[in-house]
Amino acid sequence: MSNTPSGSERPSRPAPHTSTQKSTSRSSFRRRHPILRALVPIGLVVLALVTLVVIKVTGGSSNATPAASKVVSGNGGSSGSSGSTPLPAGVLSEVTSVSPATLGAIGEPSSSTSPTATGSKTTLTAANGKPEILFMGAEFCPYCAAQRWALVVALSQFGTFSGLTATHSTTTDVYPDTKTFSFYGSTYTSTSLDFTSVELESNQVSGNSYATLQTPTSAETALLSRYDAAPYTSQPGSIPFLDIANKYISVGAGFTPQVLQGLSMQQIASQLSHKNSPVATAIDGEANRIVASITAATGIKPGPAAPAAPAVGS
Amino acid sequence: MATPRGRDVPRWIIATTLGLSMLAVGLTAYLTVTHYTDPSALACPDTGIINCTAVTTSSWSAILGVPVALLGLLWALTMAGLNSPWAWRSSTKWLPAARLTLSGAGAVMVLYLVYIELFRVDAICLWCTGVHLTAVALFAAVLAGRASLATTSRAASLAR
Repeated sequence: MSNTPSGSERPSRPAPHTSTQKSTSRSSFRRRHPILRALVPIGLVVLALVTLVVIKVTGGSSNATPAASKVVSGNGGSSGSSGSTPLPAGVLSEVTSVSPATLGAIGEPSSSTSPTATGSKTTLTAANGKPEILFMGAEFCPYCAAQRWALVVALSQFGTFSGLTATHSTTTDVYPDTKTFSFYGSTYTSTSLDFTSVELESNQVSGNSYATLQTPTSAETALLSRYDAAPYTSQPGSIPFLDIANKYISVGAGFTPQVLQGLSMQQIASQLSHKNSPVATAIDGEANRIVASITAATGIKPGPAAPAAPAVGS
Repeated sequence: MATPRGRDVPRWIIATTLGLSMLAVGLTAYLTVTHYTDPSALACPDTGIINCTAVTTSSWSAILGVPVALLGLLWALTMAGLNSPWAWRSSTKWLPAARLTLSGAGAVMVLYLVYIELFRVDAICLWCTGVHLTAVALFAAVLAGRASLATTSRAASLAR
């Protein structure tokens, strides 16, 4: 408030044509439009909302993946480039931290299928002596895309993945553009199991097919010829092929990729801990069946943080 | 300045705030019921950016174990009480402050939830958006009601 030259207070009514004209007209406006003034906080809220939407629309997502594909190095025997990108933030932690309570509540629903017992007396082991889990798939394949989700949830209960990347199935097949992980270039560390993955082809078209990504070893090809055939499957030679220590075989996806249609990786991952979600029922349910098969095949149970394995084939 | 008197609140403010509160109660009740029964039963597309199930079943759909939908229902019921004609006309001193605080908290919560939808879940829930719009409109109506009260009080004070 201004003072007069003598130091006494100026009268409350503002005089016209003074240096305080601007502030006077502002307070006059406030008196004449009290509701407009009161709605300033709403303006700020709306402005914040609009800002969020604009940032989202212009691609400023904190989880945004690079527009360009990243070429990663394979584990040997590789000859192509993967159409994969870094995982969106938070996806891996969501997939690898599904609680035992959630997995236990979901159990083994009828929407998933268990691997088939081979009756083999010998256990497939890796060079390090650990029981081996072998996955063979391809990035373009929608069924492989679905199965990888369950496999990552299942194997995360026995060890730790690193170097997983994001990819998607081809847009020109059934269940197009199904979002998933790529095992190409990833590593898996476990004190009890060995996991080997072979991503045969990428999702990048090359001629009349897809670019070759990794070539299986002769031993892996032999396993494929032996177990990716009748009586273990009605669709010989199909992928995804999952060999659990030669004791259990799974060919094809354990659940329909339809449940993942139109969902981003964040959307899929964020539903895995919700037992009532159809996505969780499919993926976690199949993961439970894979865990049960691993335990039945090797006698190895999930880690301390993992749930007790449900019975196979229930 | 004289203490605002609730009986001076325009009827349209009371009707608007109560109506918006009841709308919020209906929307959040629907979301709460589906949360506890079948989240995928929400009448909403489940593909692409519009995906109610992805939002309502995400790991952000609960705060400290309490479903956000249930928190929303409790908030809406409280707002309905605070915006009832009785509450608006009451001379109880803490009611205006509670009304303003809770409606403002609702607007802030909307900002947080929209951020989660856009940048964490990567999906929009139409029913949740309905609640968000209602909450922001309710905050605006409460602010307008508060300003109206202040204006009426000032006029009454000058008249005296």
